[in-house]
Amino acid sequence: MNQQVQRLAQGGRIDRSRPLSFTFNGQTYQGYHGDTLASALIANGVDIVNRSFKYSRPRGIVAAGAEEPNAVVQLGASEAAQVPNVRATQQALYDGLVARSTNGWPSVQKDLMGLVGKVGGHFMPPGFYYKTFMAPASMWMTYEKYIRKSAGLGRSPAEADPDIYDHFNRHCEVLVIGAGPAGLAAALAAARSGLRVILADEQEEMGGSLLDSHEILDGQPADQWVAGVLEELGGMANVTLLPRTTANGYHDHHFVTLHERRTEHLADCAPASAEGARQSRARLHRVRAGQVILATGAHERPLVYAGNDVPGNLLAGAVSTYIRRYGVVPGKRLVLSTSNDHAYRAALDWHAAGHEVVAIVDAREAPDGNLVDAARQRGIRVITSSAVIEAKGANRVSAARVAKIDIDGFRVAGPVETLACDCVASSGGYSPVIHLASHTGARPTWNDALLGFVPTLVDGVHAAGGAQGIYSLGEVLADGAAVGARVASVLGGSAEPLTLPACEAISESPACALFQIPHEKPTLRAPKQFVDLQNDVTAAAIELATREGFESIEHVKRYTAMGFGTDQGKLGNINGMAIAARCLKRTIPEVGTTVFRPNYTPVTFGAIVGRHCGELFDPERYTALHQWHVENGAEFEDVGQWKRPWYYPRTLSGKPESMHEAVARECRAVREGVGILDASTLGKIDIQGPDAREFLARIYTNKWAKLAVGKCRYGLMCKDDGMVTDDGVTSCLADNHFVMTTTTGGAAAILEWLELWHQTEWPELDVTFTSVTDHWATMTITGPKSRQLLAELTDIDLDRDSFKFMDWREGTVAGVPARVFRISFTGELTFEINVQAHYAMHVWKALFVHGEKYQLTPYGTETMHVLRAEKGFIIVGQDTDGSVTPEDLGMQWCVGYDKPFSWIGKRALTRSDTARRDRKQLVGLKPKDPKVVLEEGAQIVFDPNHAIPMPMVGHVTSSYYSPTLESGFALAVVKGGHDRMGESVYLPMVDGSVHEAEITSPIFIDPKGERQHV
Amino acid sequence: MSNSAMSRVNLYDTRADHASVAAETPLAYSLQRSGAPAPSAASRVVLREQAFLGHLILRGGAIVLDEALREVLDIGLPGRPNTLSWDASGERSIQWLSPDEWLLIVPGGEAFAVERQLRERLGDASFAIVDVSGGQTLLTLEGDAVPELLMKSVVYDVDPSHFAVGKGVTTVFAKATVIVRRSGESRWELVVRRSFADYCYRWLLDAGEEYAIGVER
Repeated sequence: MNQQVQRLAQGGRIDRSRPLSFTFNGQTYQGYHGDTLASALIANGVDIVNRSFKYSRPRGIVAAGAEEPNAVVQLGASEAAQVPNVRATQQALYDGLVARSTNGWPSVQKDLMGLVGKVGGHFMPPGFYYKTFMAPASMWMTYEKYIRKSAGLGRSPAEADPDIYDHFNRHCEVLVIGAGPAGLAAALAAARSGLRVILADEQEEMGGSLLDSHEILDGQPADQWVAGVLEELGGMANVTLLPRTTANGYHDHHFVTLHERRTEHLADCAPASAEGARQSRARLHRVRAGQVILATGAHERPLVYAGNDVPGNLLAGAVSTYIRRYGVVPGKRLVLSTSNDHAYRAALDWHAAGHEVVAIVDAREAPDGNLVDAARQRGIRVITSSAVIEAKGANRVSAARVAKIDIDGFRVAGPVETLACDCVASSGGYSPVIHLASHTGARPTWNDALLGFVPTLVDGVHAAGGAQGIYSLGEVLADGAAVGARVASVLGGSAEPLTLPACEAISESPACALFQIPHEKPTLRAPKQFVDLQNDVTAAAIELATREGFESIEHVKRYTAMGFGTDQGKLGNINGMAIAARCLKRTIPEVGTTVFRPNYTPVTFGAIVGRHCGELFDPERYTALHQWHVENGAEFEDVGQWKRPWYYPRTLSGKPESMHEAVARECRAVREGVGILDASTLGKIDIQGPDAREFLARIYTNKWAKLAVGKCRYGLMCKDDGMVTDDGVTSCLADNHFVMTTTTGGAAAILEWLELWHQTEWPELDVTFTSVTDHWATMTITGPKSRQLLAELTDIDLDRDSFKFMDWREGTVAGVPARVFRISFTGELTFEINVQAHYAMHVWKALFVHGEKYQLTPYGTETMHVLRAEKGFIIVGQDTDGSVTPEDLGMQWCVGYDKPFSWIGKRALTRSDTARRDRKQLVGLKPKDPKVVLEEGAQIVFDPNHAIPMPMVGHVTSSYYSPTLESGFALAVVKGGHDRMGESVYLPMVDGSVHEAEITSPIFIDPKGERQHV
Repeated sequence: MSNSAMSRVNLYDTRADHASVAAETPLAYSLQRSGAPAPSAASRVVLREQAFLGHLILRGGAIVLDEALREVLDIGLPGRPNTLSWDASGERSIQWLSPDEWLLIVPGGEAFAVERQLRERLGDASFAIVDVSGGQTLLTLEGDAVPELLMKSVVYDVDPSHFAVGKGVTTVFAKATVIVRRSGESRWELVVRRSFADYCYRWLLDAGEEYAIGVER
């Protein structure tokens, strides 16, 4: 069922012995290995590949590369393999490929929006959506859903992606982007000097324009030269070749993101490698280059004429590419409309393929280059001073209306002749592909001789060949070689100059500046002349925009959507600027250009994410005891990147405990028996040096001068604004040696904070800081029975008078050298056992062996929170938020106002604002109804009957149910709270109810602290 | 009170020497949970943990530390930033970490004795030594695909032509931080923090799949 009606019997870089079957919009077709989806569709005579975005007009394939605006398809046979926004011109054909049109719900042949397009065409000016669907604003979401659905912007898969994607970090001296003649010559010149070179090219094969060139290099077809160069480059250890790799973003400092499609030419989902391993479907190369050579070539500009979007209108160069590279002719009878000689190749190729060239319509008065002569020699009719002013046809071009035109007067200057044809190719000249250069922020400059923008290049970026407006092959090769050699010498490399292949010079007569073709009717009334096919922006729309006062090209762009989205103005932008310039009676450089943004073509999210997903999304930090927690059924809480046991639900008579039940049980165990907590995640910083003590006194708010060896002290740290930033216990290990603990989340930041002050402000202090967080594992046993338990396992004298609260001792625990600290975050008798982490599991398990008779109970962070809150112990970051001073916390006892040297935050605490009496201050809250657990974050008011908006005077920072108090309780910050003990406050809730609570001391249990001293 | 209460720093041997005390490497859980693919002929990367080595952080002036190290261990400080040097046996290494910070790795069990000898030798000089042996582990990676595996993992330039044998850097590894060192033509080392070891191990297995990574145990 080979229906490849437009396929030539021979020619092209396709393999006719390898037929492939594929499906487009539900219909099965055949193509060949080497085809793109686009060339295969053309071969099969598929004219309509999409419906347009706004007017829902039928659209066909226009281009042969990344610049294709219409043939944007949805790929994937299965739901999970769906890929939106694939350009059919860039998608290699593989057996079993399934594609659908992106636009045109419910079908491209017949659709609902077509009605709007036809009927409403004239009523859909630019800004139509803004204007029409503005009111009521609440309905926009409803409108948008249908507009998006009918416009169709592709859809993401509804199932998990079966493929993997990954990242590669690469470094090189020279990155060459584009492997056409300029890029190959540049890469070879640079590579021969021994520099590390990466050559990336977005196409299936490297070679660029040489793959469909007629030209002869060194007496051989150009692709022979390409093969030779690639062979040499491929054999060099300093060269990395990346085919099927698009440079999509140019970021700062020559950081370029390359998107390599590794298996998308093979199948829907990545097949396993020959060795049976998973392969990534796409790979994002994050390249840090010394210098970058942009050899990105040029895009042909289409002409803007009426009906230029009817299927069968193609770029002249694309016609050549399809014939020469893929052996398909996109029609039977061609009319070519051009402003330059180069485009004549399309007619010559068409003619050589044995098809009829109806006419070449040239806007110039007297074209006379080699290609023009060749066309005339073949008897092709050349109509001069004229252009195709309109293409006729509905679903396919049926005729071209041709007339003499007056370019400067922008009018049709003669009678119209109608030529029957099924294909109109047009060329308005060439635009260097300057997208990547624009990503650097450099505005391109207009070159009048080239009739195009050329890139402005920041330091270290170079352009070669077509990318800077050099088009003739000999010059392109020479330019590439020269740029490559120049870059190499800048980087200190040197090599013999490249011997360039001999190539025949082709003389071309000058092109004329031609963008929009005049019609007999004024632009606003003529049939639609499309500028941006993907976004359905017409010449009339741009004219209207300028009439409505949009004079800046940036405003015109946003009003009309020209150059939006995945298209990024590849074909339309310059024509649009030229039209705006004409309407505004300015020149193109006066109108200026808009900015191109990354990405050059769409990048799948998978490639951006790489392997940073699923279980590798973010590091999970484990303590040395993690496995025990897992095996004992802990639920985990994320604290920073740490996984900390949250609580340990037990299963009682087949039913797992709720969190509330588990926490109540764990709390009781600590208050009545003994509990154990894995506290290894607390930050631990080893501080050594003769000035360690002095440093501590400056960084903490409280005093350290007299802390004796063997003693521990709680410390509070402020930022220089006087606000609490961290807290923890620091112990004196020896006169010049301390170990500081920080909050779990603050560990890294506090180490940096210490280094910052030491390195920048007090370098004269002889002190060093080293993180020992991971070296020590910390096991906290707490509760009235903790001494009895520990006594069974240690040689340390635990007598209450020789090992006091806030002392630390060395000794062995379960045979392991340990430092044991008598510090308490629960208010109970507590021993914090620190051992080298390698032995943590041994000690932990030994504690459980001996702890069985005491019902040793593991508890998690939730119970820890309840227990500490009952004691009014703050958690920095929960009860403080960067706006809380030590005084707001009622912790004046922890501030050394009279320390001889100032300390961080001291001055800030003397500001009038920090001395205000009505600052929000930490208090306890006891709900009137003991069953109520206030919501953390709930706002507090003094007068619940106050008219809305009520003055809010504080909020709840921590709130729990206390099994010991048999009541809910909370910590909160309340304006002037310290002077309002015993007063009632109110907490209005979202459901309209209001809770009443009494302001109390934040210490709910054992206010004298006797229990921790036993 | 401790035996070092009279000295100005607390020197404490945290190593348990009894056979009855089981020690667990930072990878103990990971090996059990994630497994360890056996190396095969196809393995282009082989990973091995050098468990329970002594890791000491040295801080201080280069000249005094260099002299002390030469005397005690017969290795000098590496002369340039981002490099490391080994003693004659290759079992002890000293690596530059920052302008006044070095990482000394010695065979397991030696750390305490080395620290004491260095402290005695350094006397009143301005320095610090911190034992971090429990907090990190050393992984070796061997094979021709190691640079590629590292390119998938670290942002630093690990191209063998730009990362000579004897170079060592602290760099970003996926979303963690590791020390990367090159100890031979096709032999590399990672120094991984204990709490990040599982993440790094899982990352390495994942990234190494296409190179048929094997884990030697």
